[in-house]
Amino acid sequence: MRQVYFLIVFVMLVACKPKAPENVYTAGEADFSSFTAIGDGHTGGYMDDALYRDGQENSLGTLLQRQLTLVGASDVSVPWMETGNIGVNWNGQARLLLGYKTDCLNNTSLSPLRLSPQGELSSLSTSAYNPSSKFSNFGVPGLRTIDLVSFLLGNLNFVNYNPFFARLSKDQFNFPGSGSFSTYQENVFDGGYPSFCSIYLGIEDVLPFAKSGATSNPMSPVAGLPGIGFEESLGQLCQQLHAQNVKAVIATIPNVSEWPFFNTIPYNGLKLDEDKAASLNQIYNPLGFSFVVGDNPFMIADPNAGMFGVRPALPGEKILLSAPLDSVRCYQMGSVFPFRNEFVLTLDELNEIQTRIDQFNAIIRQKAVAYGFALVEAQNFYNKLPSGFAYNGVTLSAKFVSGGVFSLDGIHLNPRGNALLANEFIKSINHSFKSNIPLINALMFNAVLFP
Amino acid sequence: MQPNRPLFIWTAIFALSLFNTFFSQGFQVNFQGQKQQGMGCAGSALMQDASALFYNPGAACFASASEVNVASTPIFANVMYVDSSTQEVFRTKNPVGTPFAAYALIQSKKSHRLACGISITTPFGSTVQYEEAWIGRFAITRLAMKVFHIQPTVSFKVTDNIGVGAGFVWSPGEVELEKDLPVQFNDGTFGHAKISGTARGFGYNAGVFYNSGGFLSAGLSYRSGINMAVKTGTVEFQVPGGLEANFPNGSLTSSLPLPSVVTLGLNVKPCKNWNAVLDVNYVGWKTYDTLSFDYATNTSSLLDTKSARRYKSILAFRAGLQFAAISDESGPKLIGRIGGGFGFSPVQSGHVTPETPDADRWYGTAGLSYVFSQHFSLDASLYATKLQRADTNYETGLSGTFTTIAFCPGFGVNYKW
Repeated sequence: MRQVYFLIVFVMLVACKPKAPENVYTAGEADFSSFTAIGDGHTGGYMDDALYRDGQENSLGTLLQRQLTLVGASDVSVPWMETGNIGVNWNGQARLLLGYKTDCLNNTSLSPLRLSPQGELSSLSTSAYNPSSKFSNFGVPGLRTIDLVSFLLGNLNFVNYNPFFARLSKDQFNFPGSGSFSTYQENVFDGGYPSFCSIYLGIEDVLPFAKSGATSNPMSPVAGLPGIGFEESLGQLCQQLHAQNVKAVIATIPNVSEWPFFNTIPYNGLKLDEDKAASLNQIYNPLGFSFVVGDNPFMIADPNAGMFGVRPALPGEKILLSAPLDSVRCYQMGSVFPFRNEFVLTLDELNEIQTRIDQFNAIIRQKAVAYGFALVEAQNFYNKLPSGFAYNGVTLSAKFVSGGVFSLDGIHLNPRGNALLANEFIKSINHSFKSNIPLINALMFNAVLFP
Repeated sequence: MQPNRPLFIWTAIFALSLFNTFFSQGFQVNFQGQKQQGMGCAGSALMQDASALFYNPGAACFASASEVNVASTPIFANVMYVDSSTQEVFRTKNPVGTPFAAYALIQSKKSHRLACGISITTPFGSTVQYEEAWIGRFAITRLAMKVFHIQPTVSFKVTDNIGVGAGFVWSPGEVELEKDLPVQFNDGTFGHAKISGTARGFGYNAGVFYNSGGFLSAGLSYRSGINMAVKTGTVEFQVPGGLEANFPNGSLTSSLPLPSVVTLGLNVKPCKNWNAVLDVNYVGWKTYDTLSFDYATNTSSLLDTKSARRYKSILAFRAGLQFAAISDESGPKLIGRIGGGFGFSPVQSGHVTPETPDADRWYGTAGLSYVFSQHFSLDASLYATKLQRADTNYETGLSGTFTTIAFCPGFGVNYKW
């Protein structure tokens, strides 16, 4: 009897597992066999203020394509950076990582630091181009929509030179005058059109202006010929894809001013004790500004603000993460010395940026409808972040470092954020092309790493 | 077969493993008697053995003799989770659970109206362990909860047909809860948290039993709710050095309410050798509204948590048949049983959690008893269920379908004198 009993137990152990459903992934009405990601650094894996190998591995374009391989896409081909993961940014600096930093008050805390004194400069002078393996991820940091058809982009002698483009261009670092320069778009379509594209453009048409505190790098105009205005630059790309029967997914531009770079330092982050409030009152009372013990708005420079061009920041105005924090802590920046214009976005400036983004997005939506592209409201995804949302047991938000979505530059998404955004692309593709492509488990991808 | 052999096996199984659920509403474990388990877990109106101490203290005084009864029901439960967005499949790797029940019922030599007894049962518990790196790892990776009910009981026959009984329940317990934390070390591995503690609670169990002496018997019992208070739990964190100040190891308090259970039971004996039983349970799960953890040291990253559970009180219906297949002059020798039941889930939509992936459920059971002598008998039972629940949790955002299959073969031994 006991043997029978144990036999029953044994059979049950083996037999009582629920059967997994058989997943059938389908491409639907689209053909993903040759996929190309068109975009800027947000597509190419720029993060932690640099382009580096791990970032590329976990870029929007790469993650999206890897998932599309389930429905027939070929494997990714990327202009890889070096495997050392030092990375490089526009100024030749290495990527950021979280480390211990001692500030001017001798307080040590976790802060984004450069991985090494110098970035991976060699990658900006070595061509990654390989004629036998066409890139599938054309995410080029800094690429504006109006750069798509520019012949200057790969020419070192011109102001619009983009080293991240030059290293993947088929021109392979032509010396000035020694050859002709090809455009971004010529490179993308070199050797034949893809069967499917993702298009995520427009951020770089507004972001550099916002990052400069609205002092330089003007936003791209709406109107103008291809290469000058946003509408026709994007339009000619879409038209060309459509004419060649290329299907695509296209995304709107998020409200960049909601990102951590613009929201980590509160407008009223000026904490004062009695002495400091008194001394500031002495300075500013004659101008009509007064200070209290506790939280006060930072003082900012605003040429339109009265005779002295100084005023307290208003609720909703942004102090940028580029502001020198040690100067704030120890050298009275933001109080005795107002924040310079380049560290501030005023309400007027924010309004100007938002208006331009809205105009661009209206164009993007219109092109998506006109050409039958799947549309990703990237804006809707980003808009969920400031208040945070629960994802498989984790609360994700736009909070700097701890929010789990943005990388240490406060602008570009980290791998986890890219996976979440790639999911928005997949949802849109599934919806528009009746495909069944599973989403990515974004928590399998890194957020900020801690020492 | 000698009586001490199964006893030894039972002890070994118990020593080796924990017990778990997944086969009963919420984290209730309805395995307190092999004979009842054979009949759809019903039997509060049929006095059969010392397990009446649990099912209906009012019936215990109708025992024909003093008795010791021990049983265990290993649980083989497998949960599969299919994530709705990634379509990925994850499974549990639960250890075999072993709820057990041990009873001693003593009939008073002086007054046949009085019986006393003590029982040790495990009416609540859960052990669930998900596979490595499963998608809900930040909600839970492992839960092990054990609750013992130790219940001294007195049962008194008021008339020849009516018995009343009551017991005091001392309920010690243990809980361990583990999950990964969404903070990453430099090598990409995730932080981890483990909460553990012992809990104490008190309650009671009372019942009335009516026996017509022939065709019909009925029972009504009430097991009180018990608040299992964790007064000195501990929490341990594994986090990167840079975050240790944010996640201080330390103590915490919490509590877990166990619901009250009202049972109305009926037993009819339509003809010789046959019994039909029906139990209706009303389980007061509404008491489990919130799961909260109050950490002794709070930081900006470690706040006290209040997590909505919002269970609702539920009804469960259990029914079964018993048939004495072989009898001799001393009574039945071989008894067969079959039964089944249906229980509503106390877990409302939007609140399904991976620690209790509960659903409305049907289940079937079967059982056998063999009486070796007037002293010694053996019981066996088998319980099987499959349940499925699709949900999106409001709090965690986990969205998918849990499927559970459980087989629970039980085995028990009785000794009467």
